[in-house]
Amino acid sequence: MLALAAAPLCAQNPSAEFFEKEIRPVLADKCYGCHSSKLKSPMGGLVLDTKAGLRKGGNGGPILADNAKSSRLYKALTYNETDLRMPPTGKLPEEKIAAFEKWISAGAPDPREDAPAGAPAPVSKKGMDIETGRKWWAFQPVTEMPEPKVKNSAFAKQWTKEKIDWFILAKLEQNKLKPSAAADRATLIERASLDLTGLRPTFEEVKAFEADKAPDAYEKLIDRLLASPHYGERWGRYWLDVARFGEDNPTSEATNPPYPFAWRYRDWVIDAVNKDVPYDRFVKLQLAADQMPGTSRDDLRALGYLGSAPIYHTDLRLSKDVIETLYTDGWDERVDAVGRGIMGLTVGCARCHDHKFDPILTKDYYALAGVFASTVPAPRPLADVDKETEQKFMFASQRLFFLSYLANLMNNEPGSKPDDAAKQVVKFTKEMEEVRDSMAFLKESQPEMWNYLNNLAKAPQPKKAKPDPAVAAATPPPPPMPRPQIPAGGRRRPGGASDLPFMQSVFDAGVWINGSDPDLTLVDIKPGVARDMNILPHANVASPGPIVPRQFLTVLSKGDSTFKNGSGRLELADRMFSDAAPLTARVIVNRAWAWHFGKPLVSTPSDFGVQGDKPTHPELLDDLAARFIAHGWSLKWLNREIMLSAAYRQASHPRADGIAADPTNHLLWRMNPRRLDVEAYRDNLLEVSGVLDTKPAPLSEDLDAADNHHRTVYGRVSRGRLNTVLALYDFPDPTMSAPQRDLTTSPLQQLFVMNSSFMKDRATDLVKLVDPAPDNAAKIRDMYHRALDREPTAKELDLALSYLSKGSLTEYAQALLATNEVIFWP
Amino acid sequence: MMMKKNLSRRDWISSLTGGMGALGLASMFSEDQLRAASTTRVAAPAPAAPKFPNFTPKAKANIVLFMVGGPSQLDMFDPKPSLLKYQGQRPSSVDLRTERTTGGLLPSPFEFKQYGRGGVHVSNLLPNIASVIDEICVIKSMYTFNPTHTPARSLFHTGNIAATRPSMGSWISYGLGSENKNLPGFVVLSPGQGGGGGLARSGFLPAKHQGTYFDDSVAEPDKMIKYLQNKDLDKDSQRRQLDLIQSLNQEHEHSFGQDEFLEGRIQSMETAYSMQFEATDVFDIRKESEAVRAQYGDTPFAHGCLLARRLVERGVRTVHVYYGPGQPWDDHSKIEKNLKERCPDMDKACAALITDLKQRGLLDSTLVTWGGEFGRTPVSESGDGRDHNPYGFTMWMAGGGVKGGMAYGETDEFGFKSVEKNVSIHDLHATMLNQMGVDHTKLTYRYAGRDFRLTDVYGEVVRDILV
Repeated sequence: MLALAAAPLCAQNPSAEFFEKEIRPVLADKCYGCHSSKLKSPMGGLVLDTKAGLRKGGNGGPILADNAKSSRLYKALTYNETDLRMPPTGKLPEEKIAAFEKWISAGAPDPREDAPAGAPAPVSKKGMDIETGRKWWAFQPVTEMPEPKVKNSAFAKQWTKEKIDWFILAKLEQNKLKPSAAADRATLIERASLDLTGLRPTFEEVKAFEADKAPDAYEKLIDRLLASPHYGERWGRYWLDVARFGEDNPTSEATNPPYPFAWRYRDWVIDAVNKDVPYDRFVKLQLAADQMPGTSRDDLRALGYLGSAPIYHTDLRLSKDVIETLYTDGWDERVDAVGRGIMGLTVGCARCHDHKFDPILTKDYYALAGVFASTVPAPRPLADVDKETEQKFMFASQRLFFLSYLANLMNNEPGSKPDDAAKQVVKFTKEMEEVRDSMAFLKESQPEMWNYLNNLAKAPQPKKAKPDPAVAAATPPPPPMPRPQIPAGGRRRPGGASDLPFMQSVFDAGVWINGSDPDLTLVDIKPGVARDMNILPHANVASPGPIVPRQFLTVLSKGDSTFKNGSGRLELADRMFSDAAPLTARVIVNRAWAWHFGKPLVSTPSDFGVQGDKPTHPELLDDLAARFIAHGWSLKWLNREIMLSAAYRQASHPRADGIAADPTNHLLWRMNPRRLDVEAYRDNLLEVSGVLDTKPAPLSEDLDAADNHHRTVYGRVSRGRLNTVLALYDFPDPTMSAPQRDLTTSPLQQLFVMNSSFMKDRATDLVKLVDPAPDNAAKIRDMYHRALDREPTAKELDLALSYLSKGSLTEYAQALLATNEVIFWP
Repeated sequence: MMMKKNLSRRDWISSLTGGMGALGLASMFSEDQLRAASTTRVAAPAPAAPKFPNFTPKAKANIVLFMVGGPSQLDMFDPKPSLLKYQGQRPSSVDLRTERTTGGLLPSPFEFKQYGRGGVHVSNLLPNIASVIDEICVIKSMYTFNPTHTPARSLFHTGNIAATRPSMGSWISYGLGSENKNLPGFVVLSPGQGGGGGLARSGFLPAKHQGTYFDDSVAEPDKMIKYLQNKDLDKDSQRRQLDLIQSLNQEHEHSFGQDEFLEGRIQSMETAYSMQFEATDVFDIRKESEAVRAQYGDTPFAHGCLLARRLVERGVRTVHVYYGPGQPWDDHSKIEKNLKERCPDMDKACAALITDLKQRGLLDSTLVTWGGEFGRTPVSESGDGRDHNPYGFTMWMAGGGVKGGMAYGETDEFGFKSVEKNVSIHDLHATMLNQMGVDHTKLTYRYAGRDFRLTDVYGEVVRDILV
């Protein structure tokens, strides 16, 4: 109120000056963004940058009135009505609102002079319209392409091995480059083994491959590697980057605790990739396994993609708007993960306004967000129970989790109205007991499910008065209250992974935020009811726009694409592989290409929109995508097709002419030499020192544990505290879908190599392995066999022996493991 | 696109090695050169970023003193006589929704006086800060957008409630690069993982811009920094081992052919080697004189402040010092007793930092920002505590081209809501970047199809408080 009195008082004689000083800056700053004549479709049909527009008002009628307080403009500014609040970015300061009130009361004098009718229309700042969008290259059908013509057909005949090679060669020819010679056999087996399994071959395997003169020796090698159980560990991990797999949440507080069963989703991905589940089915299972007829119990683990998605803590004492914002942020995360991860589209950009570049509308965004506002995470039993029991269990566990959180909250932090809080504790506890008792039929038949619910339903302990210090000293403190989210029992690892028979999953239920209680915001979850979302301009939950039905992206839809079945998850997944199949296929083929070659054909693998890059070899991408679909979306077919190519088999050595003409090797005049990622690096260090446990590891274990010798893919992935070694070697942030890894070289990595106990242990282990060798020279040779799959050169042997005159074998071993060659992937 | 990336990686590698890559490896790190390297600052432009600073910066470095939990402005900087006058009452203007149920107005038990040339109010909890108030601008009209700890902390650090965006320290590192090749550009000092971890993440920015955490509750650098020291080999033996590694690397590169990655890793091995000694030296506050150490005090926060000065002195861009562990300033009850216990060491260390920076001529080029994720309510919780208050609270800034001896902005009659010259968390970020020579609207990063900013689409530089 003080501020109001201090506001300029020139309003007694309102003038152009007042408009220019007080009104126009606010309009320009806060309103023109959505209400401008320069926009193709101003929000609410309201235009504020012209005098005529201001006078006319919008779809809701005039915004000015004689009595300022009854004008729509004033009402919107005061934020008093829930569905008429402007500007959406936040209420204006009181003094600004007061200025508007005075201005409206004075008849809203507006000195602006509008451009005469017929003036050239301002250029639209909007993105591509839908009709133009339908013609965007990435949305066009994929068809098999003819082999391009090459000039030197004799060379082509001799060099090419697969259809891929013709496309590569044609581009090289156009740029006056030749491909590189094939890599030597040792490099080939090393490259292929690392590629498909993430592990180096043994020295013996290299020798055998070098000696194998059979014409199909390389094909056989690829087939053997594709059949290895380690293939899924390697290629499954690639997918987990895209799926932003993590086992907890960025903050992991009371309402977003860690996911103790997320590791089962990880294991499912590994299994599915090993089985070469067709990619379309692979993705559909992750979005909607529960809605696909005939899905095996095992395949329901796929729903961890949604069931262990990152979510935010929602302290339900906060207002409805705050809670709703946090929930919509969560749904946004899913729209982004599916949009960029699977379709290569930045759908998330359309959250606040129509996409500025791509043909994606705000209503498309909320049509997809509705799918996720109708999907609720909950653990699902592994046990093969009937569908009804399963649904009841999931809903009960979800409900019990909330009730237990609320009861504990009111019990432990009653605030200044302890009597009210106590009443709520009783109320929530009572409902908790009712929900639990309604599931008592599980007691005999499914004791583990019963125990899970029963543990969730523990009533909070009444608060005790502070104990007498003397008594307290004599009695041991009571064990801390179990956190409600992770039921007791089962084998657990630090960090919360559990082997109880459950998986992270989801079920269909609409979510609404209920603000009817002024002190406690409630979350209403309605099983079996889907929620269509309101458009939220500027993502502001306080000023909802019209409701949009759940449906697929307009630009990609063929015909009516509204979702009718439950949340619409299955229909969404189906559309991605029918209407949008060409796009979805291009996106995964491009990713697979990048995982094989180190560089994608489209250098923005998660953005195939207007701002993304175009493919370096468009015909090749289309041809591969078309044949990938024709081969039943088989990833292993694609792996084989790529790896058998002459392009893939090239040597990776630098060539002066290539470096000069194409330094970044866009044209593939050689194979790209690479650095190993953290998984392959760590696994191989364990391998060469003879301690790698090659069996799949249950649960997930801290990678820093000295005795953790499992493959890195089985290490714990935390979204709150990423493991140091993972972070050091560019593991992507697991809170968001990663387009590709950006591998760096930093001194901190080298400190790890020089000084960590992990590296020292590896050196010690390696020395133990070579101990049987008769002398130092033999030991050195054995180390080279194990670590580098080759013989040392004479000079290398000299360097080793002269080092050993002063240093120990262990120090030498560590130096050898620290060399570039160990982390290099030629 | 890729071409740019590749070239910039080369730039970056050369920045790490300070352009010494051309020299022979063996001669590269004689003792003299090591000493020289530790005192020479090598400016390294950030790769792939627009050119920053884009105007002459006032500050080269910035230090954030972060009071985890939300310190009470009403008991330190923002006196409100009306709290006493209407004690226990609940006027409608204080009916703002906070996290918990609150009661009537709770007056501050502490006495306020005005200090310095601007007559700035400071309570008797903070006599040392009061004594340097002429270096400080107290912003009393801060506001933020969420009343819960983690989203509010995330807002302070990243400008967004979701804890997935890059931290301001990462943005600064991305925009301005590092001034010291042997130290990280963004350092977080905290007993334990400050504020729950994740606040120093680089998000979608390249991973090298992420903040590096160090535990300042210990004084020994080798306990503070993982993998920093080689426990088995002395310096000479280590050098000999590294010489072997590098000889083998050269053999390998000779046989493979010239390669950026292989070269880069050879150089970064050398940097790591010298870093062991430089970092061990920098992070050892025991190398300070007794007098200096006594000035700061002997608590984890005091260590953090002193270490922050040592780090910015050597070219670290951003140092965040957390007053932790946990969220000690979260005084939902017994606020009087708690503040009496906690303020003395905070007060002493903050004032010592300002004095020390000033004496060394570093204050003008170092922006110091003090505050928490929000402030506290004028109404009581549990009778003797205060709830979270994002609507109006106090932060202060010192040095780095900010006016001293002034208070800026006002809260309402009861100190609940900012009402005059309001400063949002985005305005604060815009101002901090401005003082580092960066226009906050130009520091952008293209990710997931759009340009992101620390300040998103908000933020105005608070020009009134700048020199």
